[in-house]
Amino acid sequence: MENKNKKSFLERMGESQVWKSIIRSGVPRSRRQRMQAILGSVFLHLHPARIPKHAVKIGYTWCMGGLSFFLFIVLTITGILLMFYYRPTVEYAYTDIIDMTEQVPLGIMRELHRWGAHAMVLTVWLHMLRVFMTGSYKPPREFNWGVGVLLMTLTLFLSFTGYLLPWDQLAIWAITVGTNMARAHPFIGHEGPGASLLAIGDINLVHAGSDVRFALLGGRFVGEASLLRFYVLHCIGVPFIVMILMAVHFWRIRKDGGISGPL
Amino acid sequence: MTEDIKTTPPASVSPAEKDDNALGRRGFFRWMTVGWIAFSVATGGFFTVIVRFLFPNVLFEPPQTFKAGFPNDYASNFVDTRYKKKFNVWMVRDEESIFALSTVCTHLGCTPNWLGTENKFKCPCHGSGFRMTGINFEGPAPRPLERYKISVATDGQILVDKTKSFKWEKGEWENAESFLKV
Amino acid sequence: MLQTFKDIIDILSAPTVSFTLLTIAFPFVFPPTDWFEKIHRKFGICRLWTKPGFYGGMIAITFFFVVGYFDPNFNITLTKADNFPIILMIYSMFIAIWWSMYQAYQNDDRLENGLKPMEYNDPDDKVLVWPDLVYIEFIALILFMVFLIVWSILVAAPLEEPANPAATPNPSKAPWYFLGLQEMLVYFDPWIAGIIFPIFIIIGMMAIPYMDINKKGDGYYSFKERRIGMFIFMYGWVVLWLFLIVIGTFFRGPNWNFFGPFEYWDAHKVVPLNNVNLSEYIWVKMLGTGMPTNILLREIIGFIVLIGYMGILPIILAKSWLKNYFQEIGPVRYTFLMLFGLSMLSLPIKMYMRWLFNLKYIIAIPEWFFNI
Ligand code: HEM
Ligand code: FES
Repeated sequence: MENKNKKSFLERMGESQVWKSIIRSGVPRSRRQRMQAILGSVFLHLHPARIPKHAVKIGYTWCMGGLSFFLFIVLTITGILLMFYYRPTVEYAYTDIIDMTEQVPLGIMRELHRWGAHAMVLTVWLHMLRVFMTGSYKPPREFNWGVGVLLMTLTLFLSFTGYLLPWDQLAIWAITVGTNMARAHPFIGHEGPGASLLAIGDINLVHAGSDVRFALLGGRFVGEASLLRFYVLHCIGVPFIVMILMAVHFWRIRKDGGISGPL
Repeated sequence: MTEDIKTTPPASVSPAEKDDNALGRRGFFRWMTVGWIAFSVATGGFFTVIVRFLFPNVLFEPPQTFKAGFPNDYASNFVDTRYKKKFNVWMVRDEESIFALSTVCTHLGCTPNWLGTENKFKCPCHGSGFRMTGINFEGPAPRPLERYKISVATDGQILVDKTKSFKWEKGEWENAESFLKV
Repeated sequence: MLQTFKDIIDILSAPTVSFTLLTIAFPFVFPPTDWFEKIHRKFGICRLWTKPGFYGGMIAITFFFVVGYFDPNFNITLTKADNFPIILMIYSMFIAIWWSMYQAYQNDDRLENGLKPMEYNDPDDKVLVWPDLVYIEFIALILFMVFLIVWSILVAAPLEEPANPAATPNPSKAPWYFLGLQEMLVYFDPWIAGIIFPIFIIIGMMAIPYMDINKKGDGYYSFKERRIGMFIFMYGWVVLWLFLIVIGTFFRGPNWNFFGPFEYWDAHKVVPLNNVNLSEYIWVKMLGTGMPTNILLREIIGFIVLIGYMGILPIILAKSWLKNYFQEIGPVRYTFLMLFGLSMLSLPIKMYMRWLFNLKYIIAIPEWFFNI
C-alpha cells in the first residue's frame, strides 16, 4: 500500500487501463519497453526498433528525407485549410486569395503553404544530393532511388500546379508556357513532330482540339476549365500518387536493409 | 500443341470415354480466347472512357470573331495594338495590305510586345523577335506569327475571324482571305 | 573600388564567360582523373573542401549578397520574395556539397590507410530508435517548423497583378525550380527542351544505379573511389541545373536578355541575335547556292551531324578511348549511358553554338515541326 503511493504521477498514468489500452508497453523505460514502443505504434514502426549508430547522426542523413515527409504533411494540413476559402474559378480565385490573407485573423496559412512548398523542393533536392553523395542508390537500393526520382518529379509538379491557383500574372503565364510545351509533344501534341502523320486521308487526328494540351487545359485556351483541372490535380490527383509512392519508398527503405551504411 | 490438335481427329475420342463435364483441350482454348478478348475489350474500353472523358464536346470559349473598324482607320506601316487586350490580335497595315496578326508567340504562347522604336515584336519569355510582318528572326520561336482570316463586313467594317488562321511556313499567307488589299 | 568590383562581376557573369569559367574549373574542383587530381592538389584547390574553404566560400557568397543588397539594381532582384528560396538554395547547396566533400576526403584518407570509413560501426552495436532517433526527428521537426513560421510571418507570400491574357510581364520567369528548363528552352525547340529532355532527365536519373556498376562508395561519403561518376553527376547537377537557375534568376532581364547582376534592367537594350540555321550556313553562306527545295536534301548535313554525334561517335569511342570501359559494362549499359550522357552534353554544345555562331537549328524542318 505504502509503496504504491510513492509512485510518480507518470508511473501511475502508465499503469492505468486507459494508457495501457493505447500504448501497450507502458512508459518506455527498459530496453524491452523502448523497443516495444516502436514496434507497437502504427506510426513509429515505420522505423526498425534498433538502427546502426551512424544512421542517427544528423551529419549522415541530414534528416532531409524526414523533413521532406514532414513538409508534405504540413502542406497537406495547410492546404486543406486553404480550401475552405479558395474557389477555383477565374472570377473568384484571385480575390479569394486576397481575402484569405486580409480578412482572416492570423492569416499566415497561405505563407506557410507557399514557403513550405518552396522549402520542400529544397529539402527533396538536398535529400537526393545526400543519397547520391553517400552512394546509397547502389544495390540493393536501385529501385528506391527510382521511386525517389518519381517523387521528386511529382514534388515539382505539385509545386507547379499550386503556383497557378492564385490566377495572377505569374500563374497564367506559367500555365501558358508550361502547357504549350505539351503542344510540342511528339505525336500527341498538335505541333509536335510526327503529329501530322497521324491522319486519315486529309483529316488530322491530332489537332488543337484533340491533343494532350487540350486534355490538360480542358479546352483550346487557358481559362476556366484549365484552372479547375489544375486545381483538382493539385489538391487530389498528384497528392494521391505521391502518397502511394511515399508508402512504397518507406517500405522499401526497410526492405532494402534499412539506412545504407558501410559494410 | 498445334500439331496435337491437327493430328487428333475428333472422332477418335470414343463416345464412351467422353465426359460431358470435362473441358476438352479445344474447349479450353476457345474459352481462353473468349476470356482474353473480353478482358482486352473491358480494359481497352475502360481506358477509352477515361481518356475520352478528358475531352468535353462543348467548350465555353470567348467569341472568335470581332469587328475592327474601317480600313481607313489604319495608317500605313503601323501596328495597331487596340485589339490586343480584348482579342489577342494586332492589326497591321503595311504598304499594300492590312492583316490581323495573332499575338500568340509561336514559341510557347506568351504575348510579345510591339517595340515601335526597334520596329519589332519582342517576346519577354525567351526573347523571340518578330518583324512587323510577323516573320521570326531571333530567339527560339520556330516559325512566324499566324495571321487570321480577315474580310470586310456588309457595313464596311473589317471583320476578323480567329477560327481560321494562316501559317507562313505552309505558304498560306498568299491566301486571299489572309489579308485585305488597300 | 566597389564600382570596379561590380563591373568585373557584371562582365564575369555574362553566361558566355561565367559558364565557360565554371566548365573549365569544374574538373579541377571535382577531379575525374589523376592528372586533374595532381593539379587539384598542387594549386591547393583541394583546400576548398577543408574548413578554411568553407569559411571562404560562405564569406564570398555573403559578400556578394551584401554588396548586392546595397546596390540599387541588384537589390530589386535580390529582395523579391519569390527569390528568397534561391538564396536559401545557394547557401544550402554550398553547405551540403562542402559537407559531403569534406567528409569524403576524410574517408578517402582513411581508406587509403587501410581503415574503415568513419561511418563504420560494429554491426552488433546498434542504438535504440526510441529515444535516440525519435528525439532527433522531433527536435528537427520543431526547429524546422519554427523556421517556417518565422519565414511566413516576415515575408508575405507574393501575389502579382490579376491574370491578364493580353500582357505578359517583362521579363516573365518560370517558378525558380524550373528556370533551368526555361533556359534550355532558349536553345532547343520546345519538343526537345520541354518534352524529350525532361523525360531523359527523369529516366536518366532513374537509370543511374543501373549504369553505375561501381560497387564502391556505398553507404559512406567518398570521392576518389567513384570520382568519374561523381564528376558527371555533379557537372549535370551544379552547372547544368543549379547554375542555370542562378542565371535565370539573377542574370536574365527584360526581353530575356542577359544583364549583369548590378546592371540596370533596360527594357530597350538592343542585342542583335539574328539566328541562322545550319542548312542556311551550308547552302547559302558556304556553297552560295540557294536552299534546295527537297526538305531532306536541304537538311542532309544536319542529319549527318546528328547521326554522327548520337550514333557513330559512341561506336568510335567504344573501339578506342572507352574500350576497356565498354567491355566492363557491356553494350546495353553503354548504349544508355551514351544516350543520356551525349544528350546532356548537347546542351552546353548547343549553347556555345548559339553564342558563337548564332546557330539556331542543326536540323530545321518547321514544316514537320521537326527542329533540333
Ligand atoms: C517526396 C520526397 C521524398 C521523401 C518524403 C523521402 C523520404 C525518405 C526518407 C524519410 C528516407 C530515410 C533516410 C533519410 O531521411 O535520408 C529516405 C531514404 C532514401 N531516399 Fe528518399 N524521399 C524523397 C525523395 C527521394 C528522392 C528525390 C530520391 C532520389 C532521387 C530518394 C532516394 C532515396 C533513397 C535511395 C533512400 C535510401 C537511402 C539510404 O538507405 O541511405 N528519395 N527517403
Ligand atoms: S514564348 Fe515567346 S519566346 Fe518563348
